[in-house]
Amino acid sequence: MNGLAAIAIFGALVVVAGIVLVPILATVFGGFKDLGELRVNLLGLPRHWVWSGYWDILASVRYWRVLGNSLLIALLTVALTLALSSMTAFAFAHLKFFGDKFLLNYLMLGLLFPAATAILPLFIKIRDLGLLDSYWGVVLPQVAFSLAMAVLLLRNAFKQLPAELLDAAMMDGCGYFRYFLFITLPLSGPILSTVAVISFVASWNGYLLPLVVLDSESRYPWTLGLMAFQGQYNTSWQLVLAFITLTILPAILMFLMAQRYIVAGLTAGALKG
Amino acid sequence: MSLRTLAFASACALALAASSALAETNVTILHVNEVAAAKTLWDKIAADYNAAHPGVKVQFKYLENEAFKAKLPTMLQSDERPDLFYSWGGGVMQAQDKAGLLKDITADLADVESKMSTTAVNAFKVDGKAVGVPFEMGEVAFYYNKKLFAQAGVKAEDVKSWDDFLGAVKKLKAAGITPLVVGAGEKWPMHFYYSYLVIRIGGDGALADAKANKNGGFKNATFVEAGKRLHELAALEPFQAGYLSTTHAQSAGVFGDGKAAMDLMGQWLLGMQAPNSASGKGLPADDIGILSFPVVPGGKGKPTDTLGGVNGFLVSKSAPPEAVDFLKFFSQEKYAKEAAATSAYIPVVKGAEAAITDPLQRRLADDLAASTYHQNFFDQDLGPSVGRVINDVSVAVAAGQTTPEAAAAAIQEAADQQ
Amino acid sequence: MSTVEQAQFEPARRMTANSWAVVVIFLPPALLLFTIFVALPMAEAGWYSFYNWNGYGRPDRFIGLKNYGYVFGNAVFARALVNNGLVIAVSLLIQLPLALAVALAVAGRVVGAVTFRMIFFLPYVLADVGAGLIWRYMFDGDYGLPATIAGDLGTPSVYLLASKDWAFAAVLVVIVWKYFGFYMMLYVAGLQGIDKSLLEAAEMDGAGPFQRFRHITLPLLGPMIRLSIFFSVVGSLQLFDIVVPLTGGGPFDTTHTMVSFLYYFGITRMRVGFGSAVGVVLFIICVTFAFGYRRAFMRND
Repeated sequence: MNGLAAIAIFGALVVVAGIVLVPILATVFGGFKDLGELRVNLLGLPRHWVWSGYWDILASVRYWRVLGNSLLIALLTVALTLALSSMTAFAFAHLKFFGDKFLLNYLMLGLLFPAATAILPLFIKIRDLGLLDSYWGVVLPQVAFSLAMAVLLLRNAFKQLPAELLDAAMMDGCGYFRYFLFITLPLSGPILSTVAVISFVASWNGYLLPLVVLDSESRYPWTLGLMAFQGQYNTSWQLVLAFITLTILPAILMFLMAQRYIVAGLTAGALKG
Repeated sequence: MSLRTLAFASACALALAASSALAETNVTILHVNEVAAAKTLWDKIAADYNAAHPGVKVQFKYLENEAFKAKLPTMLQSDERPDLFYSWGGGVMQAQDKAGLLKDITADLADVESKMSTTAVNAFKVDGKAVGVPFEMGEVAFYYNKKLFAQAGVKAEDVKSWDDFLGAVKKLKAAGITPLVVGAGEKWPMHFYYSYLVIRIGGDGALADAKANKNGGFKNATFVEAGKRLHELAALEPFQAGYLSTTHAQSAGVFGDGKAAMDLMGQWLLGMQAPNSASGKGLPADDIGILSFPVVPGGKGKPTDTLGGVNGFLVSKSAPPEAVDFLKFFSQEKYAKEAAATSAYIPVVKGAEAAITDPLQRRLADDLAASTYHQNFFDQDLGPSVGRVINDVSVAVAAGQTTPEAAAAAIQEAADQQ
Repeated sequence: MSTVEQAQFEPARRMTANSWAVVVIFLPPALLLFTIFVALPMAEAGWYSFYNWNGYGRPDRFIGLKNYGYVFGNAVFARALVNNGLVIAVSLLIQLPLALAVALAVAGRVVGAVTFRMIFFLPYVLADVGAGLIWRYMFDGDYGLPATIAGDLGTPSVYLLASKDWAFAAVLVVIVWKYFGFYMMLYVAGLQGIDKSLLEAAEMDGAGPFQRFRHITLPLLGPMIRLSIFFSVVGSLQLFDIVVPLTGGGPFDTTHTMVSFLYYFGITRMRVGFGSAVGVVLFIICVTFAFGYRRAFMRND
C-alpha cells in the first residue's frame, strides 16, 4: 500500500484515538484532583496535584486484596468459559444430531432476557447449592451467562476452518477429540483470545452478582471495594476515579497478553499450506 | 490414673472449655452511614458492649446506600441476614414487616421508650407494635447564605409567609443572585418543596387521610393546591441554570461556592457543602443561616410542623436476644450526647440535644424538640412505588410539564396500583 | 466450488460412535450450568410477572395479566421502546461501520497497531460507574465541553442532559464511544482468521485493495459481520448499564431504555412483578428478532 495512503490512515487513527482518549484521560487526571476541583475543572490538568488519592489507595491492603479477588474470580471465569464453550461450540460446529438446532437456540435464549430481573431466583439457586459467600458462587453463574455469546462466536470460527482438514484427519484415523485438541484449538488463537478478553472484562466489571452472593469483605472484588468511597449523600468521586483507573490496569494487561495470540494466529495462517 | 491419662483428660477438658468460649453469639448490624463521626462512635459503642458482655460479638457492617437497597431483599432470605439493619421507616419497613421479616420488640422496649422522642419511636412502629429503635432525627429547612441575603436586602426574620418568601425570591433575582439551588436531576430534592407545601396547606392529617383514601385520596384539593403553589414559585425561574440535570452533590457544591442564596435540604448539607465546593472549603458556618419553611395563607399547617427523616435500626426476626439488648445499650443517653457533641447526628434521646455545640445543628434540634407534628419524608413514608411518583411529579410540576391536577391524579394512580 | 464458498459449506457427516462420544462428553457440562443458572432463574422471573409482589417473602398476590396492561399503558415504556430503536439505528449505521473501518486499519501491519487497538478498547473496559460519571461532567453546562465551546464562541452554554430533546442524543454519543471497541475486537479476530495466502494470490493477480476487500475479505468476514449485527441489535435492546450513572433515565424519563425502565419502575419501586412483565415483553421482542434474523440472514452460518 502506498506511503500517502498509509500516512492518511495513520493520521485518521490518531484523531480517533485522541477523541476516544479524552474521557479516559479525564478519569485518570480526576484522581489527582480535589472533589471540588473535579466538578469545575474536568478537562484540564489538575491545578493542584493531589498525590494522596492514588498513593493512599496503592498503599492500602484493601486495594491489593480486592484486586487479587477480582483477578481470581476473572481468571477462573475465563478458564471455565473457554473450556466449556469451546467444547460445546465444537460439537455444534461439526456434528449434526437430533436436537442440535434446538439446543443451540436454547443456548441463544440466554442472550435475550435481561439478567437484572433474574437476580432473585438466581440468588435462591446459589443459596440452595450452598455456594453463598464463595468464589464459585460468583464464577459459575458468570460462566453460565457468558456461554451463549462465546459458543456463537466460537462455533462461527470453527466452521470457517477448511472442511478438508477434518476430512483428511478422519481418513488418517484421527478421532474428533484429538482433532479438537491438536488442530481446532491451536488454529483458533484469535477468536479464543477474543472470547477470553470479553469474558475477562465482563467478570472484572461485574457488580450485582458479587454484591448479592458475597458477604465476607475479604472476598470482595474491586467493584464492591469501591463502596468504601461512596456514601448515601457524600461520595468521594475523585477517589472513585483514582480507584477505577488503578483497576483498569490488569484488564489492559490481559488484553495485551491476548493480543500476542492474535499475532501468533497470523503466522499460523500463513504456514497452512 | 496414669500420667498419660491425666494429660489426655486435661487436654480434653481444655479443648471443651475453649470451644464453648468460641461459641459466642455474633450480632451483625448492617448500615449505610458514611459519616466518619458516626462510624467512630458506633465502633466504640460496639467495643464497649463486647467488653462488658464476654461471649457476645457485636459488629457494624457498612454497605453503600444503593448496594444496601439492592442486597437487602436477597440477604433477608439467607442465613447471612443481618440481625439489625438500618432503616428509614415508612413503606419499606411496613413491607418488611408484612413479609414476616421483623421481630416484635414492644415488650423489650417498654422501659426505654419514654426516654426517646415520641415521634421517633412511633415512626418505627407498625400497627402499634415496635419493630425497631430509632437513633436519629433530621429536619429539612432552608439553608441560606447570609452574605447574599444582605446583598439583596432580604431579612430572614421577615420571611414568614409564602408571599414573603416569593418576595424574597424576587428581590434576590433582581439583585442578580440565583435564589434557589436544587439537585432536580435526582428528583427527590424537589419533592421537599411539594411535601412541605402539602403539610403547610393540609395540616397534620393531610397525608394520613390521603393514604386512607379519604377526601378523594391524593386527588383532593390540598395536593392540587400544593402543586399550584410550587408552579407559582417555579414560574419566577428561581432555580440555577440547568437545574433539571444537576445532581444533589453538584447542588451542594453550588451552595458551598456561594453561587445560590438558598437550598431546601436536610441536615447533611452542612457536611456536604464544603468538600463539594470548588475551593474545598465551602461557606464558613457563620455565613450560613437556617430559615423554616414559610406558612401558606389559609393553610391548616403550623410553622412548627416539621418535615424530616427518622432513622433507626430494625430487628430481624431471627435476631438473638443479645441484639435487642445491644439496641438498648446503644440508646443510652451518654452515647446520644456524644453523637450530639461530635455532630455525628441529631439523637432522639430526650435531653441529649443539650450537648450539641454547633449552633446550626442546635437550631434544628430545638425545632425538632418543639415540633407539633413531624412528618417523615414523603418518598419514604409512602413506600418506593408511590414515593418515586411524588418525586417525578414534583419535578414535572415545577418545570411546567404537567398540571397540578394531573400530578395529583398520577400519585393516586400509583397508590391504586400498589 | 471456489475456496471462499467452500469455507462456508459443510457436508453432513454421519454420526459415528466417535461423534456420539463427543456429543455426550462435550455438551452436558455447559448445558447443565446454563440450565441451572440461566434458564431456570429466567423462567421463574417470568412467572413473577403474573403477581403483584414487592420482593420480600414470596409472591402471593396473583393478578394475571394486569402487569402487562400497566406496561403497555405506560407512556415511559413507549418512549423507552423508541429509544431502543434509536440505539439500534445508531449502532447499525454508525457504530458497526466505524468499528469495521478501524479494524481494517489496525488488523494488519500498521505502526503501533496493538497500541491503537488497546486505546480503542479502553472505553469498553472502563467500568460504567466511572464512564457515566465522567461523561456526565463532560456534558455539564457549567464546566464541561458545552461550556468550553460556548465560551470560545461567545454564546450561552447548553445544558444537554437537562434537555428533553437532546439528552438522549448525548446518551447515544456515549454508547458509540463505549462499545465500538468491542466490535472492532470482533472484526480484528475475524480478519486474522482469513487465510493470508488468498489475499497474496489475488494481489499477485493484479487485484487492487478495493477489489481484494470486496471479493475476498468481505465475503470471508461475512459470518462475523452477520453475527456482530445480531449481537449489536440484541445488545442494543438489552442496554442498561450506562443509563443509570449518566442520566438516571431523566430528564422527565426521556432517556430510559427498556431495561433501565424495568430497573427504575420495577425493581427500585419494589414492583418486582411489573419489572418481570417488562422483562418478558423485552424477551418476546428479542426472540422475534433473533429467530427472524437468523432465518433470513444466517441460514448457512
